[in-house]
Amino acid sequence: MGRVLLKLLDRLEEILIASLIAGATIVIFVAVVHRYALDVSAKYHFDAVYDYLFKINLSWAQELCIYMFVWMAKFGAAYGVRTGIHVGVDVLINMLPPPWRRFSILFGLLAGAFFTGTIGGLGANFVWDMAHTDQTSPDLEWPMWIIYLAIPLGSSLMCFRFLQVAWGFFRTGELPHHDAAHVEGVEEAVPLPGAVPQAVGR
Amino acid sequence: MHGAPMTPNRAAMTLTIIAIVLLAIAMTGNAGIIFAILVVLMLTGMPISIALGLTVLTFLFTMTQVPVASVALKLFTGIEKFEIMAVPFFILAGSFLTHGGVARKMIDFAASMVGHFHGGLALAGIVACAMFALVCGSSVATVVAIGSIVLPEMVRAGYPMRFGAGVITVAGSLGILMLPSIPKVIYAVATNTSIGALFVAGLFPGILLTTMLCTVTWWIARKRGYPRLPRRSWLERWRAFRASVWGLMLVVIIIGGIYSGLFTATEAAAMAAVYSFFVSVFVYKALKMKDVPKVLLNSANMSAMLLYIITNAVLFSFILTNENIPNALAQWFLGKELGWVGFLLIANVLLLIAGNFMEPSSIILIMAPILYPTAVSLGINPVHLGILIDANMEVGLCHPPVGLNLYVASGISRLGITELTKAVLPWLFTMLVFLVIVTYWPELSLWLPRAMGML
Repeated sequence: MGRVLLKLLDRLEEILIASLIAGATIVIFVAVVHRYALDVSAKYHFDAVYDYLFKINLSWAQELCIYMFVWMAKFGAAYGVRTGIHVGVDVLINMLPPPWRRFSILFGLLAGAFFTGTIGGLGANFVWDMAHTDQTSPDLEWPMWIIYLAIPLGSSLMCFRFLQVAWGFFRTGELPHHDAAHVEGVEEAVPLPGAVPQAVGR
Repeated sequence: MHGAPMTPNRAAMTLTIIAIVLLAIAMTGNAGIIFAILVVLMLTGMPISIALGLTVLTFLFTMTQVPVASVALKLFTGIEKFEIMAVPFFILAGSFLTHGGVARKMIDFAASMVGHFHGGLALAGIVACAMFALVCGSSVATVVAIGSIVLPEMVRAGYPMRFGAGVITVAGSLGILMLPSIPKVIYAVATNTSIGALFVAGLFPGILLTTMLCTVTWWIARKRGYPRLPRRSWLERWRAFRASVWGLMLVVIIIGGIYSGLFTATEAAAMAAVYSFFVSVFVYKALKMKDVPKVLLNSANMSAMLLYIITNAVLFSFILTNENIPNALAQWFLGKELGWVGFLLIANVLLLIAGNFMEPSSIILIMAPILYPTAVSLGINPVHLGILIDANMEVGLCHPPVGLNLYVASGISRLGITELTKAVLPWLFTMLVFLVIVTYWPELSLWLPRAMGML
């Protein structure tokens, strides 16, 4: 049962962040096209088109994009713990005697859990206070506390992921390894999709 | 890469020495304490973002009166800037481009233009890297996109693998220098510099580096007698250009769009993502629709990691500013009367050292706010500083222990890191010469943005 729930959580996490990045891209694309079409129709006096487009108000697009990316960042950071993408400086610890190295890695993971747990707590507090005000976002006029809910939820999930990875490391001595250097399908003319896009931002 | 572990005695001695050095640094005051905490946490191997965040938390709870609530707010609002959102968009665009068949057409075009010289295929690889860099903001993506096609071809044509892998590792780093670049966006956000000006400023240095790399490659290839491709007719060149034009059009969209004021840098990045999706899936058809979710997920993973570092680094630089550290450093530098020549030398050395430990985004986020005030008071243009930092990051990407280009190239070529490290040496040395030129010839970077009225 627990395992099924965990699988479900993993899947939800993935679907959420992939849809958010796609959604944000589409939102900005539509807003830019809309603005451009407005300019063009005004310039060449396509009044019917202009009037129609003018009725559609997309001034909130930028704000929505930011909130979508904030949510993506918080939950994506949790997903990143699971995929081992958060890299650190491992030059020193790789030279240490194995038991010391093991201790250092565990310490790092627990420190991660401690930090994200603290932020989760601070965030929950912050959101709780905000829920008692009627602050809304400037353009969308959504209640701010719902938007900031990303912080306690994302941070708690991240804390959970750190503990999960730490427990796995404690038991098996294995870490999720994000291998940016691993390139599949290099013999073919075109690399297989999904082979290495994870390294793209570096 | 990983040597044999130290014996417990040696390890204990090493750690003691590190501890003494850090204690000495911590004695120098608040600035020293902050950096000592940061270094200790980072050396334990925990993620850099967590180390930054924990440093801030520790410092806040023990040393200052800054209300924690205001910091909490900072943590939430740290990434709520529309400019920062260019980072995920460029990552997404880069992922689509890498798998979209754009690189193939660019290599064909480059080979038709320069293939008939000595070491033609290697030269084509460098030029293709430069072209890909015009539209892509990431070095690693450039190495993957160009390297995975050019390297097998070079080996088939009779080049030693070391030669090809060495060339592509270094040429790939053009990805963050030419036009759009993720590190430039991060620098712009950290220092409030114009993103458009930074993009454009990288063009001439990029062309210079391309020329220098080509010259060295041509010279080595001629000496060793590496093969040349047959010379192509202008008609063939035109056809190859036509085939690659879909990818090159992105330059017009990104730079033209920003320059004409049609859209902001972030919007340009979003347009680039949509456009490269369109080209990859519908024009070149190299990416299947069913693989798109995977590309999205991987881009989101990468973006979230960078955004998480940014959030924590914003917090960290808030503490630095609050303790007035960057300004104090600037005063100290001015008091030394080293002038801008001396300052830039020190900045280069610091950045090159940092390149041994961290990847570009983290270095920029930590170092840029510190170097910036001094640079400005010495009359150094922020755009010039940005390009200089960028060039330093390129060097860091091409040597161990953290140079990602090297690891990716090693993954493609199946060469060991040690061997590849030796293989890149001629070009890495070229890049150091290039770094000196970029550092002490500001107009190389500044002329174009000024001529376009962006400065």
